Amino acid sequence: MNDAQADVRLAAVTKSFGPVVAVDNVDLEIRRGTIFSLLGPSGCGKTTTLRLIAGFERPDAGEVYIRGERVTSIPPYRRNFSMVFQSYALFPHLNVSENVAFGLRMRGMARADRARAVNDALELVKLDALADRYPRQLSGGQQQRVALARAIVIRPAVLLLDEPLGALDKMLREEMQIELRSLQQRLGITAVFVTHDQEEALTLSDQVAVMRNGVIEQTGPPREIYDRPRTEFVAGFLGASNFLAGTVVALEGGTAIVETPAGRASLLADSRIGDRVRIAIRPERLRMMRDDGLGLPARIRDIVYRGPVTHFYMDSAGGPLLSYQQNAGAQDWSVGDAVRCTWDPESAVVLDSGCA
Amino acid sequence: MRTPWASVLLVPPLAMILLFFVAPVLYLFWVSLHEASSSELYGAALTVQNYVGVLGDSFYLAIIRRTLGVAAVILGLCVLIGYPVAYFVALQPPRRRMLVLLLLLFPLMVSNVVRAYGWVAILGRRGVLNTSLGSLGLIDGPLDLLYTIPAVVVGLMTILLPYMVISIANTLATLDRSYEEAAQALGASPFRTFLHVTLPLSTPGVASGTLLVLLLTLSAYVTITLLGGPRSKLLVSMIYDGVTAFQWPHAAALAFILLALALALTALILSVLRPGRVQGTGR
Repeated sequence: MNDAQADVRLAAVTKSFGPVVAVDNVDLEIRRGTIFSLLGPSGCGKTTTLRLIAGFERPDAGEVYIRGERVTSIPPYRRNFSMVFQSYALFPHLNVSENVAFGLRMRGMARADRARAVNDALELVKLDALADRYPRQLSGGQQQRVALARAIVIRPAVLLLDEPLGALDKMLREEMQIELRSLQQRLGITAVFVTHDQEEALTLSDQVAVMRNGVIEQTGPPREIYDRPRTEFVAGFLGASNFLAGTVVALEGGTAIVETPAGRASLLADSRIGDRVRIAIRPERLRMMRDDGLGLPARIRDIVYRGPVTHFYMDSAGGPLLSYQQNAGAQDWSVGDAVRCTWDPESAVVLDSGCA
Repeated sequence: MRTPWASVLLVPPLAMILLFFVAPVLYLFWVSLHEASSSELYGAALTVQNYVGVLGDSFYLAIIRRTLGVAAVILGLCVLIGYPVAYFVALQPPRRRMLVLLLLLFPLMVSNVVRAYGWVAILGRRGVLNTSLGSLGLIDGPLDLLYTIPAVVVGLMTILLPYMVISIANTLATLDRSYEEAAQALGASPFRTFLHVTLPLSTPGVASGTLLVLLLTLSAYVTITLLGGPRSKLLVSMIYDGVTAFQWPHAAALAFILLALALALTALILSVLRPGRVQGTGR
């Protein structure tokens, strides 16, 4: 991928605040027309990364490019981006259409063109009826839409979103996620989305970068990040995972047999006999069988009913195990039952060593 | 949440306000509607002559105009000098900001009388300014600096400036930084960001500072008397003169004219600055 396709590129960017390295030698490329999520716990450097793209922070080292132009030393107001803030930051002294028009006014657009562009943007977010209202007269969801309209109306090279849905309740948040996604695809916007909500990142993004301690641990499409996590942190941050440690004792075709304290398990990996490995299995991939067949023996410690699924917490000799079972058919497990846990070899993932 | 007890708790302060504030003001208004009396607080006959006399007298109208002029100049200077200082203070990190604000409050710990005499010592005919200018050979004779309107303006302004600075600095310091960042993200240069976002959003601080300075200017007495002398009197001085001449009803009427002026100017300032529009409620 070259710069012509990448709307945003960070090259070896580092930023420290005093002794704390907030962003540590980060490289990333964001392709035109895609949503790129920066996902991680608070303090992982995701917001700082966003602010480095915006220019609100200057990197200690490395370069920032927007549409192929090096902007590292260019102030924010001359960079080609716009931003939706967590608090929305709608100007309280301006009404909805004046808020949306602000960026166009700063760009010196003629009044008539401005009015048309503002109206179009408000129609896109279905708020054209509220153009004369002031921000304080709007609900949280409406304020969110105004912030979005204000950001897209200037047709930026990249739209930066700093946890924009964080202040909304769950129902509204899911609605806005879908709306945001369809809006982005219709307009072909390039967007960088900062969130600590893994579900939101998976729903919205074309690419997800999982950050921890200022470092990007893994970048990839949502499915790859979720199904093939490379590190224990990524596996644990995006949903729950079962972790087992063991040694490869046999190879059968592409399948490796791993000896774990709980028993033997099989997985797809190009390992050698004798390798120490750490594997992760998603709870929904972990099947539970009656205690008479193959699989890792375990005992049910706790059962939590969650509506569509039931969570089974189990103990095995290799550590705790968790399984999600669909509540489609009849299931009559009870606490204390002995079970056998199995999974398909392709469901288990070998994690990078050293990141345990 | 609303229990009968809540309103019971309001009774003592309400009674205090009625007894010690509202009632005396109403009584004073009653006094202002009577003739003067040489032996009593006020005479027997009801009259509006106290008001008509003041408002029809060119001498009093000149005093009112002078009072408004002095207030306007002091307000203007306080905003012009106070805003940049407040902006600088607000930029400081929290700890240093506290220190600077404390420093600004320091002069308020010295009595206005003492400070006015300080200005007398500086501005007087044999004061610091005249003697040093004279010894430098810049002036032939002493300048008449004291007992002038500019002396009153300078004296009051130096006393009132901290109120303006503290009001504006507090608003600026608590302003959410993301407003300014949002403006910059939309392409506004730092100067335009200040003009279109920071300045309008700081109007609550400007409004409260302006009201404080205005009302303290209108009610100042000691500074005006000591620095203005007998020739540069303002409305408050006339009230005092009325009281000392035992013209109680006349003084009361002047007090109500001053009150009306203060209320009208307050309404004017609030309607121009509209601080409510950036504070989430009302407009």
